[in-house]
Amino acid sequence: MQHLADVEVHLARSLREALELLSTGKRFKVLAGGTDLIVQLRTGAMPKTDLLDISRVDELRYIRFDDGVLRIGALTTFMEIYESDLVRRYAPVLSEAAFTAGSFQIMNKGTIGGNIVNASPAADSLPPLYVLDAELVIVGPRGERVVGIRDFYRGYKRLDLREDELVAEVRIRPPGDGYIGHFFKHGLRRGDAISVVNGAVLIDVSRDGVVGDARIALGAVAPTVVRSPNAERVLIGSRLTKEVMWRAAEAVLKDISPIDDIRGSADYRRELSVNYVFMTLYRIAREAGGDA
Amino acid sequence: MPPSLTICPRFATPASQPSNCESAINTVGLKFPGYARLREIKFYLNGKETTVEVPPAYTLLETLRYVLRLTGTKEGCGRGDCGECTVLLDGVPVHACLTLMSQVEGRSVVTVEGIERDHRLIRAFVEEGAVQCGHCTPGIVVAANHLLKEVPRPTEEVVREALRGNLCRCTGYVKIVRAVLKAAGD
Repeated sequence: MQHLADVEVHLARSLREALELLSTGKRFKVLAGGTDLIVQLRTGAMPKTDLLDISRVDELRYIRFDDGVLRIGALTTFMEIYESDLVRRYAPVLSEAAFTAGSFQIMNKGTIGGNIVNASPAADSLPPLYVLDAELVIVGPRGERVVGIRDFYRGYKRLDLREDELVAEVRIRPPGDGYIGHFFKHGLRRGDAISVVNGAVLIDVSRDGVVGDARIALGAVAPTVVRSPNAERVLIGSRLTKEVMWRAAEAVLKDISPIDDIRGSADYRRELSVNYVFMTLYRIAREAGGDA
Repeated sequence: MPPSLTICPRFATPASQPSNCESAINTVGLKFPGYARLREIKFYLNGKETTVEVPPAYTLLETLRYVLRLTGTKEGCGRGDCGECTVLLDGVPVHACLTLMSQVEGRSVVTVEGIERDHRLIRAFVEEGAVQCGHCTPGIVVAANHLLKEVPRPTEEVVREALRGNLCRCTGYVKIVRAVLKAAGD
């Protein structure tokens, strides 16, 4: 563990100030909550660089619902997301993920924008954003652009984000009342752990027992979070019977490519993925009053 | 570039040398040429306006312990896993080890020293024997005190959830949870 006494910190108090500093051509690491960045810098996992502290840019801290769109400012913390009635109502699967993202200490400091840009394949906010087909509003010197969450990640920690741009907002179009979704997470400790495998399942159960739409995303099993089109195909148009749910759960294996690491082996992750997807589908089927 | 120094060489110092890591930090960490420009940072510490001159990427924990010499806040893992360094930042529990001084400027910080000595929660910890080695205690007291302000009558489940980020390797948590519930009942 090393100290950061030799690291220069530039403080931005507004979005404009932050963008101006970013456009000077100086290289910065952007500091939001810092719950992962500071660990990486202090352990030496990331080389020391100047920091741009945007943690005070309060204009990026909000949760709003207007024109049918849920808008979450990038600097909104996991605690603020968890405590938000708007998120619980329009994106409950994200609410669940926010609560398990870390201890209360982490939830009070970690931000959704930081989680997105940090781009860990195990980031807990990402599977919900993948099943919700969230969009990111990115601001830079050339103005604003909107990117779908799946297009934002181009590979392991490779982002569609230029050095002079910031992620400013997450936009979610609520999937509608006919959907039930849940987040799942396997950590090595319940209270505060990085996911060995996590994921989100969102199912349209409004069509009298037949699955209208199915969206499944898994994290920590590939270089980026992935959706599982194979599992989704098994489910759409079928009834949520145990047999169908097992077939769907096993189909996720075709869409994931886990590796061995300190938190678990690839085999363990495959086993967890199948079982957690089944358990989450089973839970959804029961809540929908199906025949499972 | 200055050499990279271990912040607190508790376990690395040979027995023959004084292991006063506080003075090591003050002489090496703060005065070493080549480090980032010191910045005057003003914040509210336990209700009092406080100004320190530190590198902006110094952590709040380093500042509390080595500059302000408030050693109630402990360093356990130094990476946000154990909760020993829990303090309130603008009223909510955070890790002081993962908070840089630039993030603290103008904000309020409450440490365990900001809680009265005869506070009912501290009394309950003593009466229930909820302390063994004591290293996790300050962080737990800060987190639990915050919980009781938010939820005056928590259930056991709520207490365990609120303290899930605070590791204790001695007690198995039973007496800690009992102490928090007792303080809530008093």
